Amino acid sequence: MLPKAEVEETLKRIQTHKGVIGTIVVNAEGIPIRTTLDNSTTVQYAGLLHQLTMKARSTVRDIDPQNDLTFLRIRSKKHEIMVAPDKEYLLIVIQNPSE
Amino acid sequence: MSTTKAKLKKPTLKVTPSSRVMNVSTSGVLRVNHSSTYARSINASVSRKSFSLAADSKILDKSSVQTPKHTVQVFDENGKDVTPQPLYQPDPAAVMSKHSKIFASDTSGGTMSDFYSTAYQTTTNASFAGPFTRSVFGSSTVSRGSQSTMESMNEEIEDPSSKRDVSISLSDVQVRREEVKELIKEEMLDEVVDRYLIESETLWLLHMPAVSVSVDSEEAESVKERNNLYMELCKNRMGNDKYVERSMQTFNGAPKTKEVQCEAITMVDAATTATTWDMYDSFRSAGLGEAALSPDTDKASGPEIVSNHRLDPTRAPERTMSVISTTSIASASSSRIEMEPFVVPSEDEPDPELIMQSEKFQQDLFVMERVILENIYQPKLAAYRQLPTLEDPDIVPKVVPTVVSRREESSLDEESTLTPALERLWSFSCELTSGHNVSSMAWNKRNPDLLAVGYGQFDFKDQKSGLICCWSLKNPTWPERVFTCESGVTTLDFSASNASQLAVGMHDGSIATYNVESREKTPVIDSSDCAHKHTSPVWQVRWIDHERGASGEDKGETLISVSADGRISKWFLRKGLDCIGPVLPQSLKVVGNLSITLTSPCSQGPLYRITWSPFCSDVFLSCSSDWTIQLWRQDLFTPVLGFTSTQSAVYDVMWSPKWATVFGAVNEGRVEIWDLGASILDPTIVSLASPGVKLTSLLFATETDCILVGDSDGQVSVYQLKNLTVGEGTQVDALDDIIGSTLASQL
Repeated sequence: MLPKAEVEETLKRIQTHKGVIGTIVVNAEGIPIRTTLDNSTTVQYAGLLHQLTMKARSTVRDIDPQNDLTFLRIRSKKHEIMVAPDKEYLLIVIQNPSE
Repeated sequence: MSTTKAKLKKPTLKVTPSSRVMNVSTSGVLRVNHSSTYARSINASVSRKSFSLAADSKILDKSSVQTPKHTVQVFDENGKDVTPQPLYQPDPAAVMSKHSKIFASDTSGGTMSDFYSTAYQTTTNASFAGPFTRSVFGSSTVSRGSQSTMESMNEEIEDPSSKRDVSISLSDVQVRREEVKELIKEEMLDEVVDRYLIESETLWLLHMPAVSVSVDSEEAESVKERNNLYMELCKNRMGNDKYVERSMQTFNGAPKTKEVQCEAITMVDAATTATTWDMYDSFRSAGLGEAALSPDTDKASGPEIVSNHRLDPTRAPERTMSVISTTSIASASSSRIEMEPFVVPSEDEPDPELIMQSEKFQQDLFVMERVILENIYQPKLAAYRQLPTLEDPDIVPKVVPTVVSRREESSLDEESTLTPALERLWSFSCELTSGHNVSSMAWNKRNPDLLAVGYGQFDFKDQKSGLICCWSLKNPTWPERVFTCESGVTTLDFSASNASQLAVGMHDGSIATYNVESREKTPVIDSSDCAHKHTSPVWQVRWIDHERGASGEDKGETLISVSADGRISKWFLRKGLDCIGPVLPQSLKVVGNLSITLTSPCSQGPLYRITWSPFCSDVFLSCSSDWTIQLWRQDLFTPVLGFTSTQSAVYDVMWSPKWATVFGAVNEGRVEIWDLGASILDPTIVSLASPGVKLTSLLFATETDCILVGDSDGQVSVYQLKNLTVGEGTQVDALDDIIGSTLASQL
C-alpha cells in the first residue's frame, strides 16, 4: 500500500498531464472528495456519470454475472471522459486529447 | 244413447300429456288413486249414513251368476242417490263367467271398491254404459270431487299401463275386505281384452277462494248479509266505546353528523428490476453468508475497503481463492450488519480518507494515469511498436510546423523522406532525474516494455548519489520504481532467470541487487559487507547463465562483475554477496567489458565499452575516449577496423540486435548509426544532440527499430530508425565479408 503522500502525488501528476481538464473523486453519495473543477460542474458530472456507470455495470453483469465493470471511457468530439468506478467512489478524469 | 256413446267416447279419449289435469292425474296414478280413493272415502264417510250396499242388478246379473251381489248405494244428506256408478259395464253378451268368479268371491262384502275392481278387470261394452252414464249425468249435484273421481276412474280404466297398479292400489285401500284373486287360467290369456282410457280426476294444488261471490250463487245471500253487517259496524264505530282511537309515539334518535379525518395516505411507487446479476448476487450472498462468518473475519478488520470484485494479487495466491474470500468478506460484513441493526457501524462508512487510502483507489489511479498517457502518447507508442498510426478524426490538424522538436534536431536531410533518419519519439524524464547523468540502461529480460536506467557520473568529480529508475514504456513521465543509491550507478543488468532481480554496480565498487517487483527501496542484497568487494568502480555486472551446474553452485546464474581494479569476481548470492577471487573468464562472450587495456596497445585512452557482436561470436567492438570505435576479432590482437567520425570521446557503442553490420555509437555530441554494409567510413545516420547536453549511453530496443539515447541531463530519448535499409537477413555474411576483405587488404 502506497503511503498517503504518494496517492496525493499521483493525483497531482495526473492533473498536470497534457490535456487533462479536470479530475474528480466523488464518494458513493456524490459528495466530491477531490476535484479540480468548480462545484456545480463537479456535481453535474458526478451525478450523470454515476447513473451511466450503474447502467454500464448492469449491462456487463447482466451478460455474465461473474464479470464486472472496471473502466469506462467516453470519447466525444471535444473531450474524453474516463471513469474508474467502484462501489465506494468514482474517479473521473476529463481530458482533451488533441491539445 | 247418443249421450251415452258420447260419454263412452270420452273414456276412450287418449290421455295426452298436454292437458294439465290429465297430466296431474296420470303422472301420479298411484297418488291419484289414493286421492280418488280418499275422496271416495270422504264421500263415503259423508254419506255413510246412507251407505248401503246396493248392487246393480244388471251388472250383477251378468257378471256373477252364482253369487248374488250386494249393490252399494250411497245417499248424501239430501237423500239423493249419489251412488257412484261403476265406470265399467261389462258386456252382457260376453261370457265372463270366469271373471265373475273372481269378483264373486271378492264381492261378498259388496263394497264399492269391489265393484270398481270388477269394473276394471272386466271388459266393458258399450251397451252397459247406459245405466251407468245415466246415473253419472243424473247426479248433477254430485260434488265435484266425486265426479272428478269418477272421471279419474274412467281415466284409470283407460290407462292400460296402470292397470295392475290401479288394481293393486285399490286392493291396498281395501281395508275391510281381503281380496282373493282367482288364479289366472289359461283361457283368460287367450281372450281379447279391450282397454279404455279415461280421464283421471283433477288434482287441486292451489285454491284461492274468490273474494267476490256471484249473485246467483247460493252463498250470495249470506255474503250479502255479512257485508251489511260490516257496514253497520263501520258506521257504529264512530263514538262507539268499543273502538277507541289511540296514537303512539316512538322515539326516533336524532341523526348526528360525525366527521372523521385521517392522515393522507401517501402513495409511494416502488419498483425494482430483477436483473440477472441481482439474482446472482442475492443467491451468492444467501448461500455464503453463514458459512463464511467464522473464517476471514480477521481479514475484514482494518480500514481497508475490500470490494467484491477486485482481486488483490498480493494477498491471495490463487485467483479463485481470492474471489471466494472477497465475496465471503463482503457477505460476512453484510450479514453482520444485518444481525446488528442497531449498532451504527462507524467504521464501515467510508470516509474520504479511507477511500483515498484504499488499494483499489491506488490501482485505479495507476490505471487512469496510464490511460491518460496512452491518449497522449498513442501515436508515438504506435510508431514504436511499428503499428500504423491512426489519425484522430476529432483533432483538426494545425498548420503549425511541428517539425522542430524541442531539444533534438532530427536528421540532417529533412526534405527527402527516404534517407535514413532518426525520428525522435519521446523521452523518459522527470524532475527526479534531471541533472543526473545517464550511465547505463538495461531492458528487462521478461517484459520488454520495462527499462532500468542507472544514473551516475563517470568521472570522479561531481559524484552525486546514484539513482536507479525503472521506467515503463507506458508511462514516460514517471518511473515505476525509483531507487536511490549511495554512489553513482555505473552498470545495470537484469537477471534472466529471475526477471525481477536487478544487479547494480556502483562507482564505489559495491554491488547490490534489487527486487523491482516490490516497492521496497532498499536492495535485496548488498555487497558492502563482503571482504573482497571491489575497491574501484564496477564497470560491468553481468548475470551469466550456466548450462551445467558446477558443484557448489546453487543457482543456474551467477553474477560476474568487472571493475577498474582489475578484478573479475564471481558473486554468490547467499545472505550477502560473497565473491570468489579473480576468476579468469572462461566464456567471454557475455562479459562486456574486459580490461583489455593491458592487451591492446592501440587504444590510448580508457575503454568505455566492449561489446560482442550478437551474430558473429568472435567479433567485438570497443569504444574509447580516443575518439575511435574499433572492431576486433578474438584471435587478433590488433583491431580489424577502426571508425572515427568526430573528435570526441565515444562513450558507448552497441551492436544492433537485428543486423550484424549495424551498430550505434554515442559520443559527446552525436548519435551515430553505422551500417558497415553501406559504408565503413561514415556513419549512415547522424543525429546531433541539443547543445549543452552530452549523450552518454545507447541502447538498442530488441524488437523494434528504435534506439534509446541517454544524456547527461537525465533524459533518455527514444528514437526510431527510419528508412534504414540494410537488406534482408541478419547480414552475418556481409560482416564476414567485410572483415575478410579488410583483413585481406591489410595483408
